[in-house]
Amino acid sequence: MSETVTIYLDDRAIEAPKGMNLVDACKLHGVDIPVFCYHPKMEPVGMCRMCLIELGFEQRDRTTGEVVLGEDGKPLVRWFPTLQTACTQVVSEGMHVRTTTEAVRRGRKDIIEFILTSHPLDCPVCDKGGECPLQELTMDFGPGKSRFLYDEKIHLAKRYPLGEQIYLDRERCIQCARCIRYVEEITDDPVLQFYERGRRLQIISTSEPGFDSKFSGNTTDICPVGALTTADFRFGARPWELDSAASICTHCPVGCNLTLNTRLDRDAGGRVIIKRVMPRQNEQVNEIWICDKGRFGHHFTAAPDRITTPLVRKGGKLVEATWSEALELVAGMLKSAGKAVGALAGPTLSNEDLWALRRLVEGQRGARLGVWPPTMTGGDLIAEVGVAQGTNFTDMGKGACIVVVASDLEEEAPIYWHRVKVAADRGATLVVVNGRATKLDRYTRHRVRYHYGDEVATLNGLLRQALGDAAPDIDGFDQLRAALENAPAVDAAAAQAIAGATDLVVIVGGEGLSMAAHGALMQAAANLLVATGHVGRPNNGLLAVWPGANTQGALDMGFTPEDATHIIDNAASFEALIIAGADPADEDPRAAAALQEAGFIVATALFLTPTAELADVVLPRMSFAERDGTFTNGERRVQRFCKAIDRVGESRADWQIFQQVGAALGQGRAMPTPGVVMAQIVERVPWYAGMDYPTLAEVAPQFPMVGGEDLYYGGTMYKNAGGLGRQWAVAAEQASYQARVRVPKAPAAPKPGKGELIVVPVRLLYDQGTEFYKTQLVHRRVPQAYVALNAGDAARLSVREGARVRVRLAGTEVEVAARVRASVPEGVALLPLNLGVGPLPHAASVGTVAVAEAVGA
Amino acid sequence: MIGDMVRGLVTTIKHVIQRPVTIEYPEVRRPVQPRFKGRHWLHRYENGLEKCIGCSLCAAACPVEAIWVEAEVNTDDERYSPGERYAKTYEINYLRCIFCGYCEDACPTEAITMGHMYELSLYVARRRDLHQG
Ligand code: SF4
Ligand code: SF4
Ligand code: SF4
Ligand code: SF4
Ligand code: FES
Repeated sequence: MSETVTIYLDDRAIEAPKGMNLVDACKLHGVDIPVFCYHPKMEPVGMCRMCLIELGFEQRDRTTGEVVLGEDGKPLVRWFPTLQTACTQVVSEGMHVRTTTEAVRRGRKDIIEFILTSHPLDCPVCDKGGECPLQELTMDFGPGKSRFLYDEKIHLAKRYPLGEQIYLDRERCIQCARCIRYVEEITDDPVLQFYERGRRLQIISTSEPGFDSKFSGNTTDICPVGALTTADFRFGARPWELDSAASICTHCPVGCNLTLNTRLDRDAGGRVIIKRVMPRQNEQVNEIWICDKGRFGHHFTAAPDRITTPLVRKGGKLVEATWSEALELVAGMLKSAGKAVGALAGPTLSNEDLWALRRLVEGQRGARLGVWPPTMTGGDLIAEVGVAQGTNFTDMGKGACIVVVASDLEEEAPIYWHRVKVAADRGATLVVVNGRATKLDRYTRHRVRYHYGDEVATLNGLLRQALGDAAPDIDGFDQLRAALENAPAVDAAAAQAIAGATDLVVIVGGEGLSMAAHGALMQAAANLLVATGHVGRPNNGLLAVWPGANTQGALDMGFTPEDATHIIDNAASFEALIIAGADPADEDPRAAAALQEAGFIVATALFLTPTAELADVVLPRMSFAERDGTFTNGERRVQRFCKAIDRVGESRADWQIFQQVGAALGQGRAMPTPGVVMAQIVERVPWYAGMDYPTLAEVAPQFPMVGGEDLYYGGTMYKNAGGLGRQWAVAAEQASYQARVRVPKAPAAPKPGKGELIVVPVRLLYDQGTEFYKTQLVHRRVPQAYVALNAGDAARLSVREGARVRVRLAGTEVEVAARVRASVPEGVALLPLNLGVGPLPHAASVGTVAVAEAVGA
Repeated sequence: MIGDMVRGLVTTIKHVIQRPVTIEYPEVRRPVQPRFKGRHWLHRYENGLEKCIGCSLCAAACPVEAIWVEAEVNTDDERYSPGERYAKTYEINYLRCIFCGYCEDACPTEAITMGHMYELSLYVARRRDLHQG
C-alpha cells in the first residue's frame, strides 16, 4: 500500500493505492459504485455491467509524455465514447471518473431494467428480501416501471436442490457467476457450472453428492440475490426478524468469528433458538468465510436430548437431582479425595471455565490438569516461536513460504486450508509434507512424502538441506548439527524454497502421531524456523492444528496433554476426577477402560455421553451459545463470544459450576461474571495482560467494507461489531529472546512385518462427533466407517471395494467397509476416526486388515 | 311554582317522544361503516388454498408487534398455499393489536383484511374462538 496514484473522482482529486480496483478505490473515498458480479475477494469478470461509469484519461503529448493542458490550464481529458465498467479497471495516474452524470444514471437504470426483465420479484417469499442487493439497487437506481411484459418472464425451477444443503431458485439467479467463481477460483471445488445460454442460463452442480464442497454455504452469502439459500435456513425467518449475537465457532482451532442469528420458534416450544450461523468479518481470522461444519453444526444447542438437570448416581443408576444436592455431593467427595484430584478439560471449555477449574483443583492441592484429547503437544514451543502477532495469511504472497506438515488441512481446519490455498494463488510457496496425498498438494510443486513414522527425520532433512553449510550462532546448534548429520536428503527444491523464503510459517498437524512423536515434530518444526531466522516477526513462526477449538486456551491456562495421559495411565490413583466437557470414554479405548478404575467422577456434559454414563455425578453444562466467554484460537488470538440463546434446562456455565463447588469447599466467594474471571486471568497469566473484555471487544475498520446498511459488495454479510480479539505475543517477539534449538527425540517408527500394514487414523471434517452429528442435514455427508487401502495392498489382501473388513491395531479391532484409493500409499491403511465404530487410538501403529468372513465372523 | 313544574314536564315529555340515542345491544346491533376495522380475517382462494404466503410483511408493518408468523415449505403432499411458502404459525395478539390496519395494507396477496367483528371479549378459550370462530 505504499505507492499511491491520484485519480479524479467526480472532479475531486483522490489518492488511491496503485493497482487497486477502481470500485474499491471509490468505495474507500465514499463513492459507491453499484456492483453485482464484482467482489473484492475474487477476480473481476465484468459480467453484469452494473458498475458503469464515465472514464477518461489525461491526454499526454506523444513526443514529450507531458500532460496536455487546455486553455483553462487544466489537463485535457480524453473520455471514452461509451460507458465503461469500473470493476474491470485498476486505478492509474491521471484517471478521471464520473459517477453522477445523466449518462451513468441512464446506464444503470437500463441495466436494472434489463436484469428485471426475467426476475420473478417474489421478494415477499424470498429469503434474501430485506437484505437483497438487487432490491436495494433497484430502489436506488432502477426505473420504477418496466417496459417489458410480465407474461414474457421465463419461468424456471424455484426449488432446485444443488445438493441437499443448498437450494437454487433458478428464476432469481442474475447470472453473476459469483458462486461458480468462488468454488472454482477460491476453493477449487469446480462443481458448479453454467448450463444453456441466454435468458435460460442456469447454474447446475456436476458433482455427486451435489454441490460437493466444504464451503458451499459461503456462496449463499455472496450471492447478490435470493437464488442460493441453505436448506438449513430456508424460510427460517425474515432477516429483519432475527436477533444477532457475536460468537466463535467451536468446531476447530481456526476460531472463525460467527454471528448467531436467533429467533423464537413455536416448534421449539416457544424457545429462542439459533436460526442460522453466519460468518462475522475478521480479516485476520476467517475474512468473510466459514466452512459448512461451522455453518450447519449448531443444532446440538437445541437438541432434545440435552441433559437438563444434574444427575447423581443412586443405587447404580443416574437419577435427577437438584443443584444444591449435586454440588454438595461433589464438594464432599472432593474434600475427602484430598490431593488425589485430577481434571480433564475438553476442547470447548472457555478460558474462564479453564481458569475456574484450575483454581478449584489447585485449591484442593491437586496437581494434574489435563487437556483432552491428549494427541498433540508442544504448547511451550508455541509460546516460544508461535506465529508472531500480526500474522495474517492475507498478507502472504510472493516471497512467503508456508510449510504444512502431517495435516490434511482441509479436513482438520478448513479455513486455514482456504487461506493457505489463496495465499498460494497469490504466489506464496507451499511445501506440503505428508505421508499421503491431500488436496493441498494441488497448489505446489513441493510435495514431500515420508513414510509414517519418519516425520521428524523428514523435517530434519529439509533443515539440513536448507541450511547447507550455514552455521547460525544459536544456542544448541552444534548438538543439532551433529544430530542432523544422519538426516536423509529429502527434497532439494523444497529445501531451496524454504531457504529462500522471506517469510516462513510452519503449520504442524498430528496425523498418525503419538503425543511424544508430535512433540518431537513440533521441536523439529521450531528448529526449522529458528535456524533459518523465521521467528518473532509477523507472518513467521509456528502454528499447530490443535485438535480442539480452545486447546490453545487450555495450554495457556496451565493444562497439558501430558497430564491427561498421566491421569488415564494412573486413573486408579485418582480418588476424584473432574471431566469437563470431554468424552474420553468415546474417543480413546484406553481411557474407556481406565475410567472404570477411577474413584469418584464428576462430569460436566451437554449429553449423556459414554463418559457421562460412567460418572457418579453429571452436571448439565451450557453450550457456547448460552453464555459469555473467550476462546483462544490456534493463532493465539483471544476472542470473545456472547450469549445468544437462553440456557437449556437448568444448565450452568462450567466456570459457574467450578466456582460454586469451590465456594462450598471454602475457596472463597464465587465470581459473578465471566468478565471478572477474565480480569483475574489478565492479572495472573502474564501473556494475557491487557486482554480484558472491553479490549477484546474493540473493532477497527476492515476492508472490504461489507455488512453495512448499504449492503455494499452485495450478499449477506456481517460487519464485526463484537470485537476482533487480540493475539498474545510469543517469547521470540520480546527483546530478551534467546534463540535456541534442541535435538528432537522421535520415538521409533512403526515397522510392519509380513502381512501387516501401518494403520493411520485420520481426522475427517464430517464425522460422528457428538455435537456435530446432531445436525441431521449433514448425515448424508458423513461416510460409513471405512478403511482406505492402496490398490496393490487391496489385491494382496483380496479386499475389494466395499467389502467388510476387520482392522486390527494397537489392541483394538473394528469392522468397517473397505475403500480402494490410489491416493493411499503402499503399505498404509487410512482409518478415519469418529465414524461410530467406537473408540480408536489416534496414533499410527502396525496393524492388519482382513476380509471379515475370513476371520471367521 | 306551577309554571316551573310545567317547564320540567315539558322537558320530560320532549324526551319521551324523542328517538333514543342508545340501542338495545346485544339484541340490536348498529351496522358498522364499510371501512370499519374489526377482527382480522385470513382468506382463502376459491379452491380452498390459503392466500397467506407467510411472508411476515404484516408483522413487519405492525406498529405494536402483535403479529407472529412462522413460515414453512409447501410440499406436494402437504399443500396449504399455492406457492412454495405458507404460514405454519400465524398468531395475532389481540391484547396488543390497536386495529390500525397496517397489516392489511402491507399484505402482498390480500390475505389479511380487517373484518367487522368487534366483539372480542369472551370468556371461553379466546384462541379457539378468535382464530376459528
Ligand atoms: S432476489 Fe431480491 S429482488 Fe429478487 S425476489 Fe429475492 S429479494 Fe426480491
Ligand atoms: S446463483 Fe447467485 S451467485 Fe450464482 S450466478 Fe446466480 S446470482 Fe450469481
Ligand atoms: S474452519 Fe473451523 S472454526 Fe471455521 S467454521 Fe469451520 S470448523 Fe468452525
Ligand atoms: S402479509 Fe399477508 S401473506 Fe404475508 S404473512 Fe401477513 S397475511 Fe400472510
Ligand atoms: S460488471 Fe462490474 S460489477 Fe458486474
